[in-house]
Amino acid sequence: MTDIDEAMLIALVDGELDEVTRRRVDRAVADDPALAERLAMHRRLRERLAGHYVPIAQEPVPGAMRVLVEESVRVVPLARPAQRWRGWVTGGAIAASLVLGLSLGRLTGGEGSQIGLHDGVMVAQGALAQALDTQLASAQGDSAIRIGLTFQRKGGGWCRSFDGSVAGVACREGDGWQVQQALPGAGQGRAYRQASSSDARVMATVDALIEGEPVDAAGEAVAREKGWR
Amino acid sequence: MSFEHDLLAILPRLRRFAASLSRDRADGDDLCQAALERALKARDQWQPGTRLDSWIYRIMRNLWIDEARARQRAAKTFAPAEAGEHVGHAGDRDIEAHVHLTDVDRAMQALPDEQREAIALVLVEGLSYKEAAAVLGVPMGTLTSRLVRGRGALIELMGEAA
Repeated sequence: MTDIDEAMLIALVDGELDEVTRRRVDRAVADDPALAERLAMHRRLRERLAGHYVPIAQEPVPGAMRVLVEESVRVVPLARPAQRWRGWVTGGAIAASLVLGLSLGRLTGGEGSQIGLHDGVMVAQGALAQALDTQLASAQGDSAIRIGLTFQRKGGGWCRSFDGSVAGVACREGDGWQVQQALPGAGQGRAYRQASSSDARVMATVDALIEGEPVDAAGEAVAREKGWR
Repeated sequence: MSFEHDLLAILPRLRRFAASLSRDRADGDDLCQAALERALKARDQWQPGTRLDSWIYRIMRNLWIDEARARQRAAKTFAPAEAGEHVGHAGDRDIEAHVHLTDVDRAMQALPDEQREAIALVLVEGLSYKEAAAVLGVPMGTLTSRLVRGRGALIELMGEAA
């Protein structure tokens, strides 16, 4: 009997195991020829796949792509437009959240504030609260706020990630949504959702909170039906 | 200056990622070109100090998913709205038409989109699980289960050759 599963073998091949676990898998593999064969199979697969695509990255890039990038050097002036967020984005997510929490009223002024402070806690309000309450990730139309993942947090309760003028994660508390994190979002009102650098930090928050996996479209609809209880 | 300089340096890898997602090399280059245009237009949204390659992988992947969904919608006019969420193996792929494809190409195309993009980022592009999960916007556990399922399917599809 061995407690080494497929995911661990694969993580070993991908270089994702910590030293202690790696040694444990190595030992198990040394004692179990069948396990050793599975490991070898996964190594061969990775090598074959990576090897297959290597030549593409060694080919000369087509002229049109190169020109596209090089042209933009000449067209775009050296002084870039001021970046609203640059000043404090580098200051860390926590500081960012605090600053953002305090300045949200101003930032989102035109359409009503999306986040308010109640007893020192950030809570969703307005359009954000409504999106969290009702919007399904599987049917967002061209809503200004996009719902990302819906999941159960450790210890129970629903959480949802969102992106719009503000991006972050909110969790159900009572009849409302407590905002766990608020970062500059990818923007709003765009049919195509641009990548934002906040994404990685939002995902880190999801990883820290999540129990199991996010629900699918059906699970999301059921949770809404039950009023996020 | 450094934005363009860095972009030129990673172009070959961006092109490879596009190829590993797409049906053939021509589609891959179209996708890569479109992603470059988006990235250049949206350059002010990239924050210096973060990974430029991950940012463009993400732009490219979103374009690719949008296109796959549009193709599915066109193929299933009468499907309920929610079906759009289940982006899996596109039924309209005419794999047989691409006779020049290798076993690896064929096996990659047979994978559901969500497994193919995970495999491409980790096995081909060499991203860490954490980086790949961030590009795809999924938790680590979801990424690893897609990697396990995707590898199982590839081994089955490629048979002895794996």
